[in-house]
Amino acid sequence: MAVPQRSSGSRFTLAILLLTSVTLISLDARGYEPLANLRKATTTVIQPFRNIASTVFDPIADAWESLSEGDTLEKENILLREQLSELLEYRVTTEGAVEELAALRTQLDLENLGGQETIVAEVTARSVSNFDPYVIEIGKGTQSGIREGMAVVSVGGLIGRIEDPGLRNSRVRLITDPNVNVGVLAVGTNEIGILNGGGVGQPLKVMDGIPVSAQVEIGSIMVTSGSERSPYPGGFAVGTILEIVVDEINLEKELIVAPTGQLENLEFVTVILYQPINSDSGRNG
Amino acid sequence: MTFLRVAKAATVLLVLLILQLELFASIRFFGVMPEIMLGAAVASGWHGGATEGAVMGFISGFLIDLYLASPIGLSALTYALIGYLLGIISELIAEDVERIVRTVISLIGIVLGLVTFVLFGELIAEPNLYNKNFGKILVVGGLYTGLFIPVLHFLMEWVFHQSNFRNNQIAMARPQRN
Repeated sequence: MAVPQRSSGSRFTLAILLLTSVTLISLDARGYEPLANLRKATTTVIQPFRNIASTVFDPIADAWESLSEGDTLEKENILLREQLSELLEYRVTTEGAVEELAALRTQLDLENLGGQETIVAEVTARSVSNFDPYVIEIGKGTQSGIREGMAVVSVGGLIGRIEDPGLRNSRVRLITDPNVNVGVLAVGTNEIGILNGGGVGQPLKVMDGIPVSAQVEIGSIMVTSGSERSPYPGGFAVGTILEIVVDEINLEKELIVAPTGQLENLEFVTVILYQPINSDSGRNG
Repeated sequence: MTFLRVAKAATVLLVLLILQLELFASIRFFGVMPEIMLGAAVASGWHGGATEGAVMGFISGFLIDLYLASPIGLSALTYALIGYLLGIISELIAEDVERIVRTVISLIGIVLGLVTFVLFGELIAEPNLYNKNFGKILVVGGLYTGLFIPVLHFLMEWVFHQSNFRNNQIAMARPQRN
């Protein structure tokens, strides 16, 4: 079999493309503004085609979802019934916690939280990456006042924060991402811990910041701490404590937390138009 | 590339991108969707050769990069390499190879592309790429994308050649590369 000779031209082209790719990666990692603008401009140009395709494909996707998740929904239903009965058991505790939350809000001067300017946005797409499922896309962007780092809530509480907003759409980084940190406060205590995502379908975890002596209880609500360096406004419910594990080596309590915000089958979310003081804090906060 | 070929390539890549974003992102098996743009890079390498494969791979990777949280250029880098590699392989093997062989080689190319993407991602410390679902993504993602390989080859053949599917053998009109 005769092996054709490859010209140096193809190697040269490859070398140029690889150099371009590495340059792009480097520039993007440094937050090079023109590249971000190029991304926004290109996605804006493609968006009308996506909108047309969306009207065609959405019914197909919905049909697929109902077919493939029928079994899952049934299991979810059973799980929810179990959780409901557990929650009823903790009703007294929770009622107390809600009162404590209201008191805490007053204490932290967060009475006007409800008056915080918000915007409702439709969830337009799930993650388009197999490797990073902790992202959703919403149909509002900088044109609607959305900025990097703003908190996003759904029914029940905080679900994530805005990442890389475009003109008419934005990405939301979900709190289930193991690389996301949220400063949280157990209602009724002054203990601030760092909450991390546990992955898709997994509970959240507070691994640091809660000393053994802290009076936290199962069923207590965790809220955003609203501390000075936090990109999230304070007082938003994040989750309820499911389990408390005592780490005797570090003398800390590790909390397993069920998110209160709806994270699955989202159709609409609310963006809190709260500009964090330090919006460059990446995934930490 | 002639103007007609560029127009065809742009149309195909745009259609595939929109299908990936609007249809396949929702139609998942075991939570995994097909990597259509990577499949396009593989098929373009096969039909266009090393240079065209690298260029098409770069563009398809760049397009999908616009929608990923990973840095722009990571998919472009990976897909350009895979397109180039498939171009070289297609030159080395007999042109009248059975379609099943072509499909298997394409499938290997896709899996290699996924591994390379994660490897490069890890090298630049991009979070979330290597996770406990990596094996599942390789197997399910590879096979799921594999279902679309015949269609992708058909499209890339349309881009790079005249239609010449006359029998169940691969088309014979691959351009000669010097």
